[in-house]
Amino acid sequence: MKSKTSPQIAVHLGRLKLKNPVMTASGTFGYGEEYADYVDLNRLGAVVVKGLSLKPRLGNPPPRIMETTGGMLNAVGLQNIGVDAFIEEKLPFLRKYDVAVIANIYGETYDEYKKVAKKLSAAKGVHALELNISCPNVKKGGVSFGSDPKVAARVTQAVKEEASLPVIVKLTPNVTDIAVIAQAVEKAGADAISLINTLTGMAVDLKTRKPYLRNITGGLSGPAIKPVALRMVWEVVKKVSVPVIGIGGIMTAEDALEFLILGAKAVQIGTANFINPHATMEVIEGIKDYLTANKIKDVNEIIGTFQP
Amino acid sequence: MAKNIYIGEISKNKEIQEDCFLMKVKVAASFETPLPGQFVMIRIAGLNDPFLSRPISIYSFSRRNNFCLIELLYRVVGKGTQIMAGLIEGSQVEINGPLGNGFEIDSVGKNVVFIAGGIGIAPMSLLIENLSRRFPSSLMTLYFGAQRETAVVGLDKPQKLCHDVNVCTDDGSLGEKNLVTQAFQKDMKKFLPANTSIYACGPRGMLLSLAKILNKGTFNCQVSLEERMACGTGACMGCAVAVKDKKNTLAYQRVCADGPVFNLRDIIWE
Repeated sequence: MKSKTSPQIAVHLGRLKLKNPVMTASGTFGYGEEYADYVDLNRLGAVVVKGLSLKPRLGNPPPRIMETTGGMLNAVGLQNIGVDAFIEEKLPFLRKYDVAVIANIYGETYDEYKKVAKKLSAAKGVHALELNISCPNVKKGGVSFGSDPKVAARVTQAVKEEASLPVIVKLTPNVTDIAVIAQAVEKAGADAISLINTLTGMAVDLKTRKPYLRNITGGLSGPAIKPVALRMVWEVVKKVSVPVIGIGGIMTAEDALEFLILGAKAVQIGTANFINPHATMEVIEGIKDYLTANKIKDVNEIIGTFQP
Repeated sequence: MAKNIYIGEISKNKEIQEDCFLMKVKVAASFETPLPGQFVMIRIAGLNDPFLSRPISIYSFSRRNNFCLIELLYRVVGKGTQIMAGLIEGSQVEINGPLGNGFEIDSVGKNVVFIAGGIGIAPMSLLIENLSRRFPSSLMTLYFGAQRETAVVGLDKPQKLCHDVNVCTDDGSLGEKNLVTQAFQKDMKKFLPANTSIYACGPRGMLLSLAKILNKGTFNCQVSLEERMACGTGACMGCAVAVKDKKNTLAYQRVCADGPVFNLRDIIWE
């Protein structure tokens, strides 16, 4: 145990209480099991699991990923085992840990979103839902729900009607004005907003003149997108009053602190997990060290203290 | 909470054939002994460009007094391996591993046939080394193919441990001028399917042609696949390969966590 001078790092996102502001981003941490040998899951603020759909999804044909400067493109296409298999096979493992579990959900129709939300609300061991209305790699649903404020609001409302759990809505950056979407989902009842999902991108193989990804386009993630993510979080925190979760290219505690200072109540670590499975732990420790070094007793004291 | 990322120190990194390097990395003694077919994710400590770690199969592994020595045989094919090739002795790398599933070893007393193309010899060499402790060399046969003599690597150990080593090159500059799969096909009747295990690793074209050759028969053949990877631990779903699942329907499995060793018969070639 550290001395009593160790800073307080718990944060509250409305009803959702987290030990610390560091979560894993959906799609980068499997169902928790994949990293349980590397990371003490009990120490995480929350585990956000791979996006779940009503029925299992095959995902896109390979190749699915390509490295780019300061990041990577992916077009996995939401391959997942389906909500029922998740509840039956994966959730019991996560229940063994004292950690908030956030289920990221995806549907091709309003009805599918509702059904998945209902099943997860009834399951023991899920603490919140994160609506994926922002995946760029699937033909139906995904980003098409997230790029129109009316549609985004309607899907949020539909899920809110079914879900007893807090509902986080995850936004796509592939829109003209992300704050408009954020305001629409807030009005529709979102308990929190997370952003950003990946930016749609491409890579071309000069030898074959073909795309590196079979899907042609993919979602860009990694440190290359952090400045864009920061700008969008800034635009959103100015316009909404629900808690905002910052996502995008966070590799270090310094990166995470930038988002917190802008006004994000928590952050998600995504692609960093791939190249450093201990990234989440290092970010948590780094935030504590920063607070200690600056004689700040509580992480909440720095949230939203940006001085433009 | 068992797995660590190891800091490795390069003790040797030398070009041993055209564009082929042998890297020796010292890691802490707690490093788990790898099974043949397993791999490591390697990255240059503290460097974010190239961004992703590189999956490299383990060529050799030994325990010393207070450390382990991992040997990686790799070909320079892109930015990541290019930078790896430039690392000097004493440089530090981050190693995550051993990862993935190794080859399943069948019962003793069978013939074992190894088919390797180019740098695909790396996991085969470790497998041959491992099997030689249990199988007499008279049961072990290697078919190895490369584009040309200057691309022939990794035969040192196999040549000592297998009684029959067949080398093919595309241009005939060393061994037989033939494709490795055709050299094997010519000898196929020497082996009885019930009494033979085949292990293969090599480029996609080689594995596809092997799949066609073995399609009608009943030979059991395990192959080690290669794919671009981000995490190496099963989380990112990036390294998908199309396979027939238990219900005989199309599924995408992860080369890193479900493989890299697959049953050749399960792979769906498009």
